[in-house]
Amino acid sequence: MLNDLREYIGASMSIYSPREDGLYGMLAEFRNPGELVHAAEAVHKAGYRRFDTHSPFPIHGMDKAMGLGNSLVGAWSLGGGLTGLAAGYLLQWWTGAVDYPMDISGKPAFAVEPSVPVMFELTILFAALGAVIGMFAMNGLPRPYNPLFNSERFASVTDDGFFLHVAASDKNFDVASTDELLRKIGALSVEKLYDLDDTAE
Amino acid sequence: MANTLKSSFVTGWLLDPFQPTEQHARGPFRPVLNKLLWIVPLMVGIAGLAVALVGLSVDREQFFFSYLVGWTTCLTIALGALFFVLIQHLTKARWSVVVRRIAESLTWSFPLLALLSLPIFFGMHDLYHWAHHDVMDPSSPHFDPVLKGKESYLNVPFFIVRAVIYLGGWTLLSFLLYRTSLRQDVDADPSIPARQRKISAIGLAFTAVSTAFASYDFVMSTDPHWFSTIFGVYFFAASFWTAHAVIALAAVLLQKSNGLNGVVTEEHYHDLGKLMFGFTVFWTYIAFSQYMLIWYGNLPEETLWYRERLEHGWQTHSAILLLFHFVVPFWVLLARTVKRNGTLLAGVAIWFVLMDWFDMHWLIMPTHSPEAGISWITLAAGIGLLGIFFSAFMYRLNRHSLVPQNDPNIAKSIVFAT
Repeated sequence: MLNDLREYIGASMSIYSPREDGLYGMLAEFRNPGELVHAAEAVHKAGYRRFDTHSPFPIHGMDKAMGLGNSLVGAWSLGGGLTGLAAGYLLQWWTGAVDYPMDISGKPAFAVEPSVPVMFELTILFAALGAVIGMFAMNGLPRPYNPLFNSERFASVTDDGFFLHVAASDKNFDVASTDELLRKIGALSVEKLYDLDDTAE
Repeated sequence: MANTLKSSFVTGWLLDPFQPTEQHARGPFRPVLNKLLWIVPLMVGIAGLAVALVGLSVDREQFFFSYLVGWTTCLTIALGALFFVLIQHLTKARWSVVVRRIAESLTWSFPLLALLSLPIFFGMHDLYHWAHHDVMDPSSPHFDPVLKGKESYLNVPFFIVRAVIYLGGWTLLSFLLYRTSLRQDVDADPSIPARQRKISAIGLAFTAVSTAFASYDFVMSTDPHWFSTIFGVYFFAASFWTAHAVIALAAVLLQKSNGLNGVVTEEHYHDLGKLMFGFTVFWTYIAFSQYMLIWYGNLPEETLWYRERLEHGWQTHSAILLLFHFVVPFWVLLARTVKRNGTLLAGVAIWFVLMDWFDMHWLIMPTHSPEAGISWITLAAGIGLLGIFFSAFMYRLNRHSLVPQNDPNIAKSIVFAT
C-alpha cells in the first residue's frame, strides 16, 4: 500500500521503478524536435502514460502532445499567496493590537488600511515561495542519478539529441510491442535500459 | 494611381477622415460590413441622449454632471486606446498587430469627443464651483480665499485653452497614426513603421502629461478644494484598463460577424485578458495608494473627499467599486479558461465598461449630490454617449481592412503563441 503510493508519486515525477530483472525502460532517439512531438503524441495515443521526453531545449506544444494537464504549480502559488495574506493580517493585528499596543497620534491600534502593504508584500513573498517549493516538490529535482545516464547515446541530450523514454513500469509496456511501436514512429535507434544495483556486488 | 489614400469630404471628418479602403483588404482582413453593429448602438445612443435632454429642462445641474460622467467614460476608452497604439509602436510589438487597427479606429473618436465636449463648456457654471465670479471677489459674501489662490490656474479662459490643447493634441496624434497606418494598407512603404515609432515617442510624452492634466481639469476640479497628485495616474489606470476590454470586445463582435477568421486567436485573447487582469491590479494599487496616504496623513482638506464618498449611501458605491472593479474581476480573470475564451472575455469586457462608467460616476457625482444614487438622467446620458461613441467606432472600423495588413509583423502576429 505504502509502496504503491511511493511508486505512484515517483512516477508523477518521472522516477520509475525498474522491473524485477532490472529493466528500466526503452529509450528511443528521434531526429528533431518536430518528430519528438509527433512521437510523444503517438505514444500517448497508444495508451502509454509512464513515458517522458528529453531535449536540449524546451519544445513548444510538448505538454499538449504528451497529454499532460495544467501544471499544479499555480495552485501551490495560490495557496502560498492566501497563506501570506492571512499571515500579514495576523502579524499586523497581533503585534499592533495584542502584544504591544501603542497610541500613535490617536490612530487605532489595528486598522486594515496601513496593514494592506504588509499583507500585500507577504502575499507576493509567500506566493513566490509557494511556486518554488511546489515546483521542487512535484518535479523530482534535483536528481543526481538517473538510470537514463547508463545509455551512452543519451549524453547528446544536452547537445543535439531528442529522446523519448518509455518506463518498464507502464501497464502497456512489453519489450517486443513497445520496440515495434517506437520504430514504427520513426525512432533512429531503440535501446533497452537497465537500472542495476551495482553496489550489491 | 489607384493605390493612394483619399481624404473624405470635410463633413465626414468627424467620423473618418479617409475614404473607405476596404476593397484593398485581403481575405480574412476584409471588414464584416454588418450594419447592425453600428445602427443598433446609434439608435440606442440617440434615444439615450434624447431622454437626457429632457433631463436638461427638469434639472439643469444634474444634467451637466450626468453628461460629464458619460463623456469622461468615453474619453477614458479613447485615451486608453491611444496609449495602447503608442506603446505597441514604441515597443515594436508583434503580438498586437492583429488588434491594433481596432485601437487605431478607437483613437479617431477624439474629434467626435471634442464636439460632444461643448455642453461641458456651456455647463461650466454648474459643474465647476471655481467658475463662479463671486468666489473670486473679496467683497462678496461667497468669497473663497482658497479658490482665489488657485485663480491663476482655475479660470475660465485658461481652462478652455487647455481643453483645446488636450483635445487638439490627441486629435492630431490620432490623425498622424491613423493616416500612416491606413496608407500602409494600400501602399506598403517600408519607411512607415519607423515614422510611426517617431510619432509615438513624442506622442507618448505628450499624452502622458496631457492625460494627467485633463483629469485634473475635467474631473478633479469639480471639487476644487481637493487635490491629489496621483489622480492623473488613477485616470490613466482606468483608461488603459477599459481600453483593453473594449479592444477584446470589438474583436469578439467582429469574429461573431464572421470577420478576422483565424487571425485573432485564443492566444491574442489570452494576452488581452492578461493585460485586463494586470491593469485590474494596477488600478487597485493606485486607488489604494491614494486612499492610504490620505488616511495616514489625516488632513481635513484631503480626507473630506473620501468622507463624502463614505456616507449618505455613497459607502455602498465605494464598496461596489472595491468588490466589482477589483475583487470579482481579479478572481474571474485569474482563470486561464476565461482569458482564452473570446465569448467569456467579451462578457467580462462589457462588465469593465460598466464599471468604468460607475467609477467615473463615483469620482464626479458625490460633489453634486451628497445623497447617493444614480439619477435617470445619468443613465440616459451614459447610454446615449456610449451608444454614439460605439456606433461611430464600429462604422469607422468597417470602412477599412480590419488589421494593418501590410505591417511587416502581421504574419508573426497571426501565428503568435504565448
